[in-house]
Amino acid sequence: MFSERVFVLKSVRLLFTKSARARFVSHLDINRFMTRIVRKAKLDIWYTEGFNPHPYITFALPLPLGFEGKYEIMDIRINDDNAPLGEIVDKLNSVCPPDIRFFDAVEPIKKVGEIGYATYDIVFDDNGNVAQKLKEFIGKDKIVTKKRTKKGDYKEIDIKEKIKAFDIGVVGNETKLSLVLPAGSDDNINPALLIDSFYNDFNDEYYCYTVTRTSILDKNMEKFI
Amino acid sequence: MDNKRFEQLLLSVQKPGRYSGGEINSVVKDKKDIDVRFAFCFPDNYEVGMSHLGMKILYSQFNERKDIWCERVFAPWPDFEAVMRQNNILLFGLESREPIKDFDFIGFTLQYELSYSNILNMLELSGLPLLAKDRKDFTPLVVAGGPCTCNAEPIADFVDIFFLGEGEQSDLEVIDLYKKCKKNGKSKKDFLIEASKIEGVYVPSLYDVSYNDDGTIEKITPKENAPMPIRKRIETDLDKTYYPEKFVVPYIEIVHDRAVQEIFRGCIRGCRFCQAGFIYRPVREKSVETICRQAKAICESTGYDEISLSSLSTSDYTKLEPLLNDLLDFTEKDKISLSLPSLRIDNFSDELLEKINHVRKSGLTFAVEAGTQRLRNVINKNITEEEIIRTCKTAFAGGYTAVKLYFMMGLPTETYDDIKGIADLAQKIVDTFYEMPNKPKGKSVSVNISVSNFVPKPFTPFEFHPQITREEIVAKQQYLKECIRSRKITFNYHENKTSFLEGVFARGDRRLSAVILKAHEKGCKFDSWDEYFDLDKWNEAFAECGIVPEFYANRERTYEEINPWDHLDYCVSKGFLIKENEQAKLAVTTPNCRQKCASCGANVFGKGVCFEKR
Repeated sequence: MFSERVFVLKSVRLLFTKSARARFVSHLDINRFMTRIVRKAKLDIWYTEGFNPHPYITFALPLPLGFEGKYEIMDIRINDDNAPLGEIVDKLNSVCPPDIRFFDAVEPIKKVGEIGYATYDIVFDDNGNVAQKLKEFIGKDKIVTKKRTKKGDYKEIDIKEKIKAFDIGVVGNETKLSLVLPAGSDDNINPALLIDSFYNDFNDEYYCYTVTRTSILDKNMEKFI
Repeated sequence: MDNKRFEQLLLSVQKPGRYSGGEINSVVKDKKDIDVRFAFCFPDNYEVGMSHLGMKILYSQFNERKDIWCERVFAPWPDFEAVMRQNNILLFGLESREPIKDFDFIGFTLQYELSYSNILNMLELSGLPLLAKDRKDFTPLVVAGGPCTCNAEPIADFVDIFFLGEGEQSDLEVIDLYKKCKKNGKSKKDFLIEASKIEGVYVPSLYDVSYNDDGTIEKITPKENAPMPIRKRIETDLDKTYYPEKFVVPYIEIVHDRAVQEIFRGCIRGCRFCQAGFIYRPVREKSVETICRQAKAICESTGYDEISLSSLSTSDYTKLEPLLNDLLDFTEKDKISLSLPSLRIDNFSDELLEKINHVRKSGLTFAVEAGTQRLRNVINKNITEEEIIRTCKTAFAGGYTAVKLYFMMGLPTETYDDIKGIADLAQKIVDTFYEMPNKPKGKSVSVNISVSNFVPKPFTPFEFHPQITREEIVAKQQYLKECIRSRKITFNYHENKTSFLEGVFARGDRRLSAVILKAHEKGCKFDSWDEYFDLDKWNEAFAECGIVPEFYANRERTYEEINPWDHLDYCVSKGFLIKENEQAKLAVTTPNCRQKCASCGANVFGKGVCFEKR
């Protein structure tokens, strides 16, 4: 029950972006990548104390393969309670490839279980009429599609009722669909479901698009931090 | 193709990380500062290719030069290949995403014979003519290096330059010559003739091969004053040889996902079946200091938590104990696990086992190679059954319960008694476990025997021997299965079709270029992958070219016959190989290089084990 050593472990929440080539890195691979990066950065990080000690790293909300992320969250624990947080960001950035950038380190305020929503920008290469089609599509009463459950089978859901908010805007040759969708452990809607459904409805033309998760919100629609 | 469309397509295939680039330590340069662009091609998928140490060395070495930009290229997996063909995407370098047909050099590494069809496929995906003679432009030059260049005659028609031996110096000398020739407006042909004068450079188009009526080679004739024979190149001082401080660290999981530290080249043992044991001679070691310095640098630059020592036989390193002490000093502190592959049974001490116990405990693997002492003497694998049992006892006492044993089938002089010997040995190991009073409590033993098919290779004493036929292999595999009585023993064996093709290419000649071209047209690729290998297509290709593959694989060769690789000098003399083969027939072993020099010829380099004090 008593330990000679007294650990003051400090939890640190790291915020980073994942863009360009890094969007092809899956969640599992990001996990492995981060254990290497914290080693490379020589952070005084807490290791698990099992048979194969490894840096203790957790992620708030996995990002699907192919998405860019502007507000990605990773939690670590450091051994030195007095380590300046800003230094951690600099150390990590100095060893990271350009497509993964850390922009903040904070002490966590909310628990991961409080995550309720995420915001997304879906940018289409526009040829002039994708905006109109999107409006038509999202304007429907119901958008019924099949979602895979954890058991591996499919169930029908109506995405329309899941969309908390949306906005469609055209800038130059691009059309941007912004969305707020449920996220987290209770209910999670991948915007890819919506896009696949959209292309099912309008299968005459195909527009390239990129999906960016722009933020993570709590259950009260406030920024998760 | 614009980047957005390209990336959208990437998302439609499996593991887009194979093609996306952007990994830690990958090198991106500004094109306008570059004189020479080099595409380093590994003719297999990303996961296999990224595990290869040679590529890491040359990639870093090239990129350290300001005037060279070396990029990586792997064989696209068939799902992405289909996407590429559909959308007219030419094969590109991972770093720049630009077509490699616009590069100065396209360099392939030849690690195994079954990758040849992929080389053709990659050239085709690049949009280039496959045959060297059809590539009239000076660039890109198609070059190749790696172990198979010791007889790459089957692909001689497709390649402009082969690098024999170790490439660290000859590669750069050729690149420098290329820069000079290009500046002076020389032709491709003039350049190739000049290049052939560099030691270790073999330009196949400068040699004519004629044949006898029985299909054997009559003569190999050099043209344009090309050298004869062409001698391999080696690094003579490994402490001064370039070694990268950085490895590209893949995002996706690859086959060998760890840092690798080379400790020596070559092998003292002279096992008669082993090509690596002959073509990498003489043994040259790195010092303990160099190894520790390099290993530390790599761990720091990659963030890997595992490092593996690389050589043909780790426990033959002369200063292994001090090395492990020094390495463990920093690996334990930094929570890096150290793995030691390629341990030999005969010098596997209690101390060594204790050292390994400091790191992760996994199964133990031993390459026993043959089931009876007689056959082990034939192949010059100088280990005894007593040593095997003793080592297993040590391992069991140390808490190990799983042992994996490697064997070969189809070795010269092999009989059914030798096959039965494999099962008997495995049984003895099982019995040993249960007889031990201090065996690990409450655990069962598992002995895994893995049997591969022996393929005779050039520059080994067995280069004269016929490979056994597929029917014989099947019969022997069946027999071995019947000999195994215990459920503690599992038996793994190889598909024999691929071994046959490997055997054909290993000792093949230039006439096989036509067959490879034909097989490529029929869609052969990824031949080392069971799901893609199609022997029927290959057989059609052989038939259509009027070539009998058994001529190459299953025929006994006389000592007088001119082999397709006889114009290449790997500094092990044919006389020595013949002498060794005769000793093999008598089941007489040859002492290793440290015990007694066997006069193979590798001492011409004036360095290495040949000059150690005995």
